Amino acid sequence: MLHEVKKQRLTEEARLNKLKKDKAKIKTYRALTEEVLKGKIERQYSKHNLDLTTKLIDLNPEFYTIWNYRREIFSKLFEDGVLDKKETLEKDLGFSMEQLKRFPKCYWIWNHRVWCLLQLQSINEANWMYEFGIASKLLEMDSRNFHGWYYRRFVVENMENNMKIRHKDDSQQQIYQYLSINIKEYQYTTAKISKNISNFSAWHNRSKLIPKIYDNLKLLSDTTAFPSIRHIFQSPYHILMHELNYIKTGIYMDPDDTSVWLYLHWLLLDPFFVEYLKPESSDGLSSYMDILKSQLQVVMEVNALEKEESSTGEDNIWCLKSILIINDVLEKETGDNSILNTKLEILEKLIRLDPLRKGRYLDYRNGAAKLYSL
Amino acid sequence: MEEVNKQDTPAQKSLDKMKHVEFVQSLDSKVSRQSYEYWISEHLRMNGLYWGLTALATMDKLDALPSSEVIAFVMSCWNENTGGFGAFPQHDAHILSTLSALQILILYDRLESLGDERKNKVKNFILGLQLPNGAFQGDSFGEVDTRFVYTAIQSLALLGELSKEVIDRATDFILKCTNFDGAFGRAPGAESHAAQVFTSLATLAIANNLHLIDQSKLGSWLSERQVLPSGGLNGRPEKLPDVCYSWWVLSSLALIDKIHWINSEYLESFILSCQDLESGGFSDRSGNQPDVFHTCFAITGLSLIQGKKHGLKAIDPVYCLPSEISANIKKWPVDYS
Ligand SMILES: [Zn+2]
Repeated sequence: MLHEVKKQRLTEEARLNKLKKDKAKIKTYRALTEEVLKGKIERQYSKHNLDLTTKLIDLNPEFYTIWNYRREIFSKLFEDGVLDKKETLEKDLGFSMEQLKRFPKCYWIWNHRVWCLLQLQSINEANWMYEFGIASKLLEMDSRNFHGWYYRRFVVENMENNMKIRHKDDSQQQIYQYLSINIKEYQYTTAKISKNISNFSAWHNRSKLIPKIYDNLKLLSDTTAFPSIRHIFQSPYHILMHELNYIKTGIYMDPDDTSVWLYLHWLLLDPFFVEYLKPESSDGLSSYMDILKSQLQVVMEVNALEKEESSTGEDNIWCLKSILIINDVLEKETGDNSILNTKLEILEKLIRLDPLRKGRYLDYRNGAAKLYSL
Repeated sequence: MEEVNKQDTPAQKSLDKMKHVEFVQSLDSKVSRQSYEYWISEHLRMNGLYWGLTALATMDKLDALPSSEVIAFVMSCWNENTGGFGAFPQHDAHILSTLSALQILILYDRLESLGDERKNKVKNFILGLQLPNGAFQGDSFGEVDTRFVYTAIQSLALLGELSKEVIDRATDFILKCTNFDGAFGRAPGAESHAAQVFTSLATLAIANNLHLIDQSKLGSWLSERQVLPSGGLNGRPEKLPDVCYSWWVLSSLALIDKIHWINSEYLESFILSCQDLESGGFSDRSGNQPDVFHTCFAITGLSLIQGKKHGLKAIDPVYCLPSEISANIKKWPVDYS
């Protein structure tokens, strides 16, 4: 499973050189593997065996069986009191960190780190705040690494659980703490997005955090808490307005970036917003229809600007896709038949400008597939 | 855009089957054994063997490797204590290597050589990995991923041991991994990823539950994976194309009957451009080091769009096995009543 490894073209001299070096490396590796596996089969659980697994994993962190053996040794040595659980596991977090720096996409290393932390958690010694810092650092190395994001969510979940236990007799305090964790996460996505607007991992996480924060703020009796974000989260309507405003610059800046558009579609189509907006709001807020129409204006304006700037004078594909979806919703919601022609015109353009997905547009045109679903 | 296409889409070439067969054969040879890389990849041997054999079977060249040696190797990786298969003799059992082992046996129509007792132990190994929330862990050390749900469910399907209880719980878990874009992540809350879409969708296909998802929305997300100028497919928004997504994305599109939502000619050119015409095999992108994983998924992907043209066997998008072989697998629920 090689990714991003340039093809090697060795000269005859280099090839022979590698052959010689490999011969020695193979000898060491095979001897060590044999020794470690022998220990495993004979159920030897000593510090010496542990050191051997360190050596072997250092040579090949993908060797999952050796990670397993390492954990078996730990469990036995903890049980017998030979090793101190806390000290040993904390040291192993350091070891797995060293490996992660070399192989940030290796599942087994991430998995071992999780195991160490859950073991520490079982004796109430997991330092989740420290881990939280680690998760941030790892995402600084590669802001799209999905292991990194997954790990971050794992850490956050454990912080939440711990906090629940700590405040088990005070449900308001539980909600407060839960919110402060998730609001920080929301702000973290803002920071990541402002560094790189194409970071869809951050947009994705944002879409998961918003409903959580909203639901929990409603449960909090202290209405003065979190003043900096309170106004945004008053209602799905307020959130929607805030987020639409937030992404506007992004859409103007880089209309070819798919991340922002996907997020816009979430904002305009997700039941979390739509179900709140649908019953005509009586309190002077704009209705779902108004919001769709004003977004349509924004996207059409961006498209017009793009058209002007483009050397071919053509429409922007992502603008067209969004105009199409918004029109489709408007047509269904208002029953206005005249929108159909607009849709067909856009589809004609897309078939020409985005030929890769022609088959999809044809299916939309002949009604074989629906454009959106609420 | 027309300009871009002409300049950057590589001229269509043909599939150099002979070279790819040689490449797969060369993976375990006197020469390969002299390289360090051969030895430090033992932990992937069972999976690698499945990838190589599936590439060969799709090219109708399964006999390019010695079947009796292959089967003997598979059997030597069975782990009596746990009931699962490891990736190599003496390596621990894992759900990934267990599925590969079963797939290899079925490629040779030799599943029966397991015998009832061993078969039963394999089944219990898999069932023992299902968690209360319906997910499967990869082994007893707890890693959870939709990949493991798929490998477990397919393994049970190959053994003819599916049950309503297992299927319903697995389906529940998969549905919890759906995101707003219609696609799936590795666990609830995780970002959508094309490989996870395949494992989720194929699980639902085996469970006869594809009607439970928004196929139109998912199809739209999948079709957006094709990018210019290469015409290749990527795994997530704003990422580079990679030939292995030819399988993950195409098989997913096939499962919801929407292969025509991407441009097959462009993709075909991209796949062919990832061939290594010197050593055989495919790499993730043109000019990189080829490997058996990308070779398998380039060839099976190609079979889904232009199988006849390149003389490839039809491949089943659910099982990633030749359709003539998957035809004999007991299907849920019709064959279980
Ligand atoms: Zn790949």
